[in-house]
Amino acid sequence: MHREARIANYALAVLSALSLILLSLHLSAPVQAFKACVTYVLNPVAYYGAKGSERFSNVPANVKDLLAADMENRLMREKIKQAQWVETESESLKVENQRLRAALGLKAPQLRSPTWAHVTERDPLHWYRSVMIDAGAGQGLTVNAPVLGTQGGRLVAVGRVVEVRANASIVLLLSDELSSVAAYAASPSTETPRSFEGLLQGQGNARLRMNYLIPDATIEKGDMVYTSPTSATFPPDVLIGTVTQIYPPDQELEWKSVAVAPAADASRLEEVLILKIQSEAAEAPKLSQTAPEPDSAQIPEAAP
Amino acid sequence: MSLARLPLIFLAAMLVQWWWMTHFTLFGLAPQVLLVLTVALAARQGALAAMFCGFSWGLFLDIMSPRLFGANALALTLIAYGTGSVRRQIDMAGLAPQSLVVVSMTWAYFLLLGFLGLVFDPAKTFFWVGWPAFLIDPFYNCALTAAVFAAWLPPRWEHHRGMA
Repeated sequence: MHREARIANYALAVLSALSLILLSLHLSAPVQAFKACVTYVLNPVAYYGAKGSERFSNVPANVKDLLAADMENRLMREKIKQAQWVETESESLKVENQRLRAALGLKAPQLRSPTWAHVTERDPLHWYRSVMIDAGAGQGLTVNAPVLGTQGGRLVAVGRVVEVRANASIVLLLSDELSSVAAYAASPSTETPRSFEGLLQGQGNARLRMNYLIPDATIEKGDMVYTSPTSATFPPDVLIGTVTQIYPPDQELEWKSVAVAPAADASRLEEVLILKIQSEAAEAPKLSQTAPEPDSAQIPEAAP
Repeated sequence: MSLARLPLIFLAAMLVQWWWMTHFTLFGLAPQVLLVLTVALAARQGALAAMFCGFSWGLFLDIMSPRLFGANALALTLIAYGTGSVRRQIDMAGLAPQSLVVVSMTWAYFLLLGFLGLVFDPAKTFFWVGWPAFLIDPFYNCALTAAVFAAWLPPRWEHHRGMA
């Protein structure tokens, strides 16, 4: 017999005996210890295999995301080019507006600049009352600055800043009982205001209530509610929500009220837009550079 | 095969076996990669190296199963020894003899696992792999043998690749 064959026979005997011991004494401590050792040595193959497989399985999704991001990037570049023209036009109109307002003797509206912030904290016990955001005095925020969110690609009213810290602020949501905002309703099809203004108040839950509507106001379910130009905090015509219920008229009250579902879902807020109030001093040099004040002698005073 | 490549193939084989069983089953069937490699190793290097590799690969398969620790180790050791014995009788360098051995060894492997269950399992049940696996897996393994053969040609076949 060849030497190799003889060694193979010995190896077979040893390995077979070992296998039979493992099979027959599988509950004994030495076999359990041996199994633990084998598991310790060989299990990383499956463990790291699973890790690697998971990483590779994400590759198609990552490539797809990358392609989508590239296409989106190209689209955005085109939009930025268009937006630059719109911005130039807007600046020109703003200057013209300022000049005409000055000519008519009207008070200039507050200038605002937007700042985005992330919602960092939401107290479960005060779910519909307030949220904390990661922008504060360091970012130029002030108390009472209006806070907007996005819903379906458009800006919607969320609340206002009530407490400003160095790099964080607390936003009182419209759904809080202490919140109220002047609002008007508009038909969703035409979006023409029905001239029925009321005061929208938070209820501490997911619904808002619009009070002080005149009794003969023709308001319907589904009507959109926007911020009124008379609002002291919010810019006009910002969507607040949709009328969901018309409360039956109360004989003792001289006004009617409706329930409004807020457009901004408090439970899904992730980013918000805060409108910072710009100081006139900061804006004045810019205006003076771009549009010189017209000669007051040539323009007649507007009637008060 | 150099000594440096053996640990690499040893680890890669376990990884491929695990990956195939976990992510690439066809109708619930996966080839016995470690069995095919044990046969290929025994056909090329002899029974001794194949037995040690087969035993270790068997332990790897055993730790993935909650029952019968040692059954796969014994089965692959015997397959390596059997292939090594056949190698002394017939020329195992070609694809056809290796494929024939793989088909017959796969059936022997399934039956041996069944009998080991009957003898050593506390429930004393024959570990039946099921008719689909019993009928299809040998040929699945046979196809894998062809792939392994193409990737790892015996030295005297290398000049055919050069001519092609």
